[in-house]
Amino acid sequence: MHRLVKTSVLLLSLLVLRPGIIFAQSTSSPYSIFGIGFLEGSSVGPSKGMGGTGIAFLSEMSVNPMNPASYSGLDSLLTIFEVGIFGKYSSFSTVHDNQTDANANLKYVLMGFRINPWLATSFGFSPYSSIGYNINATAPIEGTAHEYLETFSGSGGVNQIYIGASANIIKNLSIGVNAAYLFGNITRNESSAAFEYTYKDVTYVSNFDFNYGLNYQINIKKWKYNLGLIYSRSKDLRTKNTTTIKTATGTETLKEYTYKYSIPETFGAGIAVTKGFFKAGIDFERSDWKNIEFSNIYFQTRNSNRYSFGTEFPLPGDRKGTVKMIFLRFGGDYRQSYLVINNIPINCGTLTLGTGLPLKGTLNGINIALELGKIGTTKSGLIREDYIGLHLDMSLRALWFEKRKYN
Amino acid sequence: MKGIGEGKEGKEIFSFTGTSIFIPIIFITGLIFISSCTSKYEFTMGQDFLDSQTRLQVIDTFSVDLSTVLLDSLKTSATKVAYAGSCEDNVFGSVKCGAYFDLAYSDFPEIEEKAIFDSADFMLMYKGTSYGDTTSLMTLNLHMLTERIEPYSSYLYNTSSFDFSPEVTGSVSFYPGPNSSDSAVYLPVNALGEELFNKIRNKDEDVSSSEMFNDYLKGFLLESGPVDNKAIIGFIADADNLKLIIYYHIDNEEPELKKISITMGEQNHQFNNVMYDPHNSPLSNIKLEGNEIPSTQTDNQGYMQGLVGLLPKLRFPTVDEILAIRRWKILKADLIIEPVKGSYDVFSLPEKLYIYDTDKENRLNSVLLDDQGNSLTAPLVYDDLYEEEATYTYDITKFINSEFSDSYFDYEHGLVIGLSQDDFTSKLDRLLIECKNPRIKLVIYFLTY
Repeated sequence: MHRLVKTSVLLLSLLVLRPGIIFAQSTSSPYSIFGIGFLEGSSVGPSKGMGGTGIAFLSEMSVNPMNPASYSGLDSLLTIFEVGIFGKYSSFSTVHDNQTDANANLKYVLMGFRINPWLATSFGFSPYSSIGYNINATAPIEGTAHEYLETFSGSGGVNQIYIGASANIIKNLSIGVNAAYLFGNITRNESSAAFEYTYKDVTYVSNFDFNYGLNYQINIKKWKYNLGLIYSRSKDLRTKNTTTIKTATGTETLKEYTYKYSIPETFGAGIAVTKGFFKAGIDFERSDWKNIEFSNIYFQTRNSNRYSFGTEFPLPGDRKGTVKMIFLRFGGDYRQSYLVINNIPINCGTLTLGTGLPLKGTLNGINIALELGKIGTTKSGLIREDYIGLHLDMSLRALWFEKRKYN
Repeated sequence: MKGIGEGKEGKEIFSFTGTSIFIPIIFITGLIFISSCTSKYEFTMGQDFLDSQTRLQVIDTFSVDLSTVLLDSLKTSATKVAYAGSCEDNVFGSVKCGAYFDLAYSDFPEIEEKAIFDSADFMLMYKGTSYGDTTSLMTLNLHMLTERIEPYSSYLYNTSSFDFSPEVTGSVSFYPGPNSSDSAVYLPVNALGEELFNKIRNKDEDVSSSEMFNDYLKGFLLESGPVDNKAIIGFIADADNLKLIIYYHIDNEEPELKKISITMGEQNHQFNNVMYDPHNSPLSNIKLEGNEIPSTQTDNQGYMQGLVGLLPKLRFPTVDEILAIRRWKILKADLIIEPVKGSYDVFSLPEKLYIYDTDKENRLNSVLLDDQGNSLTAPLVYDDLYEEEATYTYDITKFINSEFSDSYFDYEHGLVIGLSQDDFTSKLDRLLIECKNPRIKLVIYFLTY
């Protein structure tokens, strides 16, 4: 068996068996308090350098799970193994205050390869949403004039493990589907070190989710035009909630009650143009969060929209057209998130700058993207997060079907 | 294993070597490292978004039933301290202490023919503990016992006593006060000393063996003299520090000074008898046996005194009100005790207090323990610079939670405020508390959710 496959199986089984080890997500955003947390988005690899744009891009040297129809672009000889991490340094501001935080996390591990001339597949593991906050608040000691420090922390999130396939139906038209299993937990703690208690509310969520995709390519002279469409249905997650109170005398499970967690219907469309090694695209994606209700008095939901653009081109010079070719990428996005807090909608914007570097002597590559982003606003007592982030994506490419005639 | 692919021009474009396998492994390892270094940040922003499910509340208005318990008896033998003196007090009542001990037989030296008796006295080394006004003149008398000291099942108690001769064998008057630079008091017993000197010189039967010696000198009682003393003084009671010394000299041209020391006898033959008379105090109605008096009969006050055996007992008649609340957890229970103001101007307060649990029969069942399994104590804390407000605070969370563990609070399961067991049998430290305004507070912090 191929060593790459061995390695991948090892890593994937590690992730599946003990996702906590690596996917110990610490989003570190106060906005992840709400709902099912901070939505991670499904762009990987080169798309990260292009503002997360990718609905119409076919998978080529990297796997693009944003649109399951993209797998049909995979090279028939290559097996691609993709792993990505993201670290960011954030500055959180209110009108009065400013605090900073840094964190880094593994974001995804996935593989893609072609099974036969008309069918390609991909599978992997990635976060759907993540929760991470640790907020110290003063609370009154009722019956006295004193206050004490109460810590609110959140962790967990929804992960997805998926397997997808894409088929070429007719020339230039491919369709695909990702069958994902969503699972995870939403954990919220209220605790006090001084009074030694932890009130813990854990909701385990799970369900299957299907994403559908389509990619149609039109060739006009040397230009290729791709249209990508994605769709997934609204889905209620199965939930199991446990609330416990832990004090010095022990832990007691309290009467259970259920949160409703759903994921919304999502529709996305993208257009890409390609000429030679030049590529550019735009995305639009909409999720009907307005119909999703959370039992939280502090926010309302609205439909979320994502607009993005991105472009990729090779660095001119001798390397162009060879395996040593270096790509530069640029892009940005604007997201109207599903959160409306104090009647203020929470919007996000990013600018990204990326590069794709080959690794010497191999087909492997590293994609690096710098992301500058802003989330939220300081209006109405809210928090604005300004961050600088770094995506690192390792793209390992090996030959699945070896040609042994030279051995 | 080598995988070779064919490029457009038939060149080798990829070779999968061992080294590249390690890249992902290094990558992941590095990542786990980075993740573990990520700070879980301490954040205060976002408070406004928080939807707290819990409320921390305090109740400090539970009523406290206070009473005073007088223990039937206290073991006072082998405490290495001998108390003698008396102290009249119209708050706690009068206390009179007498110290019983005997002497150890040893092989006495040969006394030369030319030896001449000079003097004899008991050396009494200050222990450093006392009770009452130590600036006044004190008189202590020494009596000889007319029966031997026999412990009952190896202990002797503050109520134990042995017959003694009314004749005073020796007496001493002295100022024990803190200004005295002396470390010892010498109580002269010349007549006894000379008699003993002669018996030793004559190798009398009485000093020939331990048995004979203790039949001859059965023991001693050191007690307050005929005048009312204002203090009770503690002396070190062990073989090194409590002894009878006989001084004599050899009548040569150059007189040679000599002495014989006869040390204190067995530790468990030494004990302190305590005579307690509450008639001139608010405790006058306390029965000397049986022995609990509610604070309603004692001006809402509760009394603690070591050696005498007074202990304040607390019960909590209304703490079960908390059971009416729907969902709760007790996180902390503090018992705060303020000594009565003005009660510690002359008599200093104990540095720390212990606490015991008790029952309807006023048995001291066990000392309460803290989380580490040590005895739970409340240190003396002064509230302000002028040391005007003293408090003791016990964290009795464990006691309260274990009482509530069966969803019922047993009123008869009370608490007793005291000293450590060693101090309670060897010190006269006292404490006056009261349950009005309220100077005893049970403060319960509980979480509802």
